[in-house]
Amino acid sequence: MGNLRRLVLDVLKPLEPSIVELSQVLADLDGVDGVNISIYEIDRRVENAKITIEGHNVRYPDVVRLIEQNGGAVHSIDEVAAGKVLIEDVVTAQD
Amino acid sequence: MANFEDTPQLNIVQQRLNDVREYSRIAGTGEIARRYFAMNAFDGVLTIIGVLMGNFVAGVRDAAIVINTGLATSIAMGISGLWGAYLTESAERERDLAELERSTLTDLKDTKIGRASRWAVVTVALVDGLAPFLAAVLVLLPLFFGNWFRSVELSYLLSLALSLGTLFGLGVFLGRISGRNILVYGARTLVAGLVSIGLRFLLGTAPG
Repeated sequence: MGNLRRLVLDVLKPLEPSIVELSQVLADLDGVDGVNISIYEIDRRVENAKITIEGHNVRYPDVVRLIEQNGGAVHSIDEVAAGKVLIEDVVTAQD
Repeated sequence: MANFEDTPQLNIVQQRLNDVREYSRIAGTGEIARRYFAMNAFDGVLTIIGVLMGNFVAGVRDAAIVINTGLATSIAMGISGLWGAYLTESAERERDLAELERSTLTDLKDTKIGRASRWAVVTVALVDGLAPFLAAVLVLLPLFFGNWFRSVELSYLLSLALSLGTLFGLGVFLGRISGRNILVYGARTLVAGLVSIGLRFLLGTAPG
């Protein structure tokens, strides 16, 4: 099975633990090279986060488990990239 | 954390300490525990001032009686703090968690947030119980060492002085938290002790 290289998740999470802590624990996972979390909506108690994880062998179940342990819920998988090289989304004439 | 990598036991201790710090931050335990500590230690000292003044005005000159009354009062205050804080804090925390669960549409009990919430209940209950108990026992200390002093009146006096000193210390603690003048805060708490001593003298002795 090909290595997962990029994972973009839409996550609903409580305000605490903050995205600073969440990004650090995710970055500590084996196979992860870097993490980016950006907030696009904030509520009184929760926030919606776009979590981008890149690595040489990202393990999806570990990522989800860690997000859930921190109180988050994965709403959708918005983008994935797997394989020997990282392939970017290509703009086509249909776009 | 890197310093402890070679020693597994210390690594575990460090990990637990980090967990505790994280739970404390998530649940906001520090602030609440501080508030409970100051409030209940204040309660504890003022209650013991009441016990001391009651015994003194009633003519009790046996240190053992004052110690027994004071200790029984301290234990009751400790139990009251522990039980009361446990019940109220767990009710509040469970409500908060349930509200958060409704927002995230997930079960948060086995997450860091759930654990932080349970940790907060235990910590706050312990602080709430121990603060009045320890503060009360502290100000009773001169009576425990009554034999060292020539008279029980001196023990009473030292206990009252220690009570006022503890009240002032609590004021200083609050002053440091607020970042304002610590002496003003110290004076505010000290006045409470002086007022309760003064009022008891003004009331005089009950007939009978």
